Amino acid sequence: MPDSWLRRHTFHYAQFRDLARLVAVKEEKGMTVSICLPTLNEEKTIAKELIILRSELMTRFPLVDEIVVVDSGSTDRTGEVARAFGAAFYRADEILPDLEKRRGKGENLWKALYITRGDIICYLDADIKNIHHRFAYGLIGPLILHDGIKYAKAFYDRPLAVGKNAVRPTGGGRVTELVIRPLFALFFPELTQILQPLSGEYAACRQLLEQIPFPIGYGIETSMILDIWQRWGLEVMCQVDLEKRVHRNQETKALGKMAFVIMQTFFRRLSRMDHLRLQGEMHHQMIQYRLVGDDYQADRFTYGGHERPPMIQIPAYREKFHRAAAGVPLPTDGV
Amino acid sequence: MPNDPIIARLPGFVSAIEAIRELVLANILLLGQIPAPTFQEQARSAAFLERLTQAQADECATDGYGNPIAIIRGSDPARPPLFAVAHLDTLFGREVDHDYQVGRNEIIGPGVTDNSVGVGVLASLPEIFRHLNLRFASDIVLAGVIQSIGKGNLRGIRHLLKTWPTPIRGALVLESVALGRLDYYADGMIRAEIECRVRTNHGHEPKFRPNAILVLNEVLNQVQAIRLPQRPRSRVIVGRIDGGTKHGVIPSLATLGLEIQSTAYGMVKSIYDEIRDIVSGIGYENEVGMEIKTISNTRAARLPYNHPLVKSAVRIIAALDLQPALSHSESELSIFLSHEIPAVTLGLTLGDNVNQTDSRMEIAPLPRGIAQVLGMLLAMDSGVCDA
Repeated sequence: MPDSWLRRHTFHYAQFRDLARLVAVKEEKGMTVSICLPTLNEEKTIAKELIILRSELMTRFPLVDEIVVVDSGSTDRTGEVARAFGAAFYRADEILPDLEKRRGKGENLWKALYITRGDIICYLDADIKNIHHRFAYGLIGPLILHDGIKYAKAFYDRPLAVGKNAVRPTGGGRVTELVIRPLFALFFPELTQILQPLSGEYAACRQLLEQIPFPIGYGIETSMILDIWQRWGLEVMCQVDLEKRVHRNQETKALGKMAFVIMQTFFRRLSRMDHLRLQGEMHHQMIQYRLVGDDYQADRFTYGGHERPPMIQIPAYREKFHRAAAGVPLPTDGV
Repeated sequence: MPNDPIIARLPGFVSAIEAIRELVLANILLLGQIPAPTFQEQARSAAFLERLTQAQADECATDGYGNPIAIIRGSDPARPPLFAVAHLDTLFGREVDHDYQVGRNEIIGPGVTDNSVGVGVLASLPEIFRHLNLRFASDIVLAGVIQSIGKGNLRGIRHLLKTWPTPIRGALVLESVALGRLDYYADGMIRAEIECRVRTNHGHEPKFRPNAILVLNEVLNQVQAIRLPQRPRSRVIVGRIDGGTKHGVIPSLATLGLEIQSTAYGMVKSIYDEIRDIVSGIGYENEVGMEIKTISNTRAARLPYNHPLVKSAVRIIAALDLQPALSHSESELSIFLSHEIPAVTLGLTLGDNVNQTDSRMEIAPLPRGIAQVLGMLLAMDSGVCDA
């Protein structure tokens, strides 16, 4: 396994903290940058993210040209709060309204491609408790400074002791370590170098994102890595240590649903890539049981595995961005 | 005063600050969420200095005591500097979750009203000056002071002023709340802690041993019976009490925190001596260990009500459609005034639940709070402190 990717393509956010330099290079290259926050009932956390991102990366240093919020149908005041703090707020259903309506994080990210204008798009979860602008510039920086890198993935501080004194972030959460890492190790060991493949924060060039399909739900992170890797190889990717991220603790049952969707996405990709031939259809329901009185009741969670096609295939998008159906070829120069 | 050029600029300041309010709010969040209990302000202090460095203040450094300081150079090196200060330390320890919640018009979290807003505004001033194209003849010294509250006993500001090499023209003390606040004098003050400790005999406790809380209650009764003079105006505030472990166990330890305030420091000392005698007597009579300790003290000092700095502050606050609330504070203000440096304390916004973990500041009034600071600095730079 060529482990040199891990060394060459793993950065620390502090390598990109010179924001004046990032802005200068960005302007020299004529780039634009968008941040997209996918939301669903985030009124309690979104204001803090918007304040810090706008202050640090728009007002103080014009690194980011726009911040958009794409919402899955919040029933709280997410939209009102987002607008009050200067974000462009869109309901996912209202973007490309002629398409069949879908709901999920992947759907929001996909539709963000249509309404943002940036050459670089940085996706951040809207519930980061310890939000700091490093979460954005740490991911945007490699795409501005390194021509060969088109996709930057976050990893965080989940310290595991290594060697005598070194304590480094090396692994992910429960779903990463129990689901996706074993699957990568079984089928694509090269990808185990990506320390936290399920992290919700990443940035990529539009010309890459517009050419890959987007599952509408939790599977988006898995599919994105597999699709980019299959089409362009690991060399266009990097990962960035963003240090501590305070995660919202999720119940095991919720993680079970997440794992179900991720496995479904993974096996679908395996099948598509001819790595595995499924003899039958996969089922679309995750079934979990709970005891109610003396009876076990089944909670059924259905996930149909819907995917949006590469955005470049949508005529309205091609028209808006003046794109040919084949998209813009990616340069293949190294880091 | 319609022809006052500073008053005329205030509405423009308010709208310009509203347009860049994220800069200030981001500093309130980024600095306020770093725990900074008194004596453990290092992390917040370093971040404060980093923010000022990033904001391109002309000089950024920490003084010999650990107070982070930035200087914005003025155009006239002959003029003494103007100071703006805010205390960095808070009541809350590292174990308290400092994650702030932000709503449409509020920020909620421990320390936000004491003194994250003050610290955040102070750290934002270089960029606010730049955005509003404000220049001063005097140097502007921005100091986040450490070890201010409680047992800190204002050590940070005491050291800063004791070692500052030049005369100081005037000072503003920034406090988060409340907008309209204008403190221009400081009472003499002694803050003291009384501890009652009931001795145990190698773990064997007599059935009818004294109750530490009840003994302190006797102290309270006698303190309340002290006849305080009308002049100099004086008072004793019992601010906190602590003791006991569970409902059915006679407490062996209890503490009482109180503050003696008076417009004359001699009276503060006299009342303190009287309380000390009460404590000794009750300790002796009840056969318990009683101790009174001074935690902090400040001497009385004041600007005259008709001092041009106070009058100017009243005008500026009123011009922003606020009702000036003139009062006193025994804080950094005391130390400036005791060094005969003209100074006032200003509140920056509205808020409630001060010093609770869910303390809350309002976002909307903040631009007016900052505008008054800018107006005051311009007024001081034009000479209102020099009278």
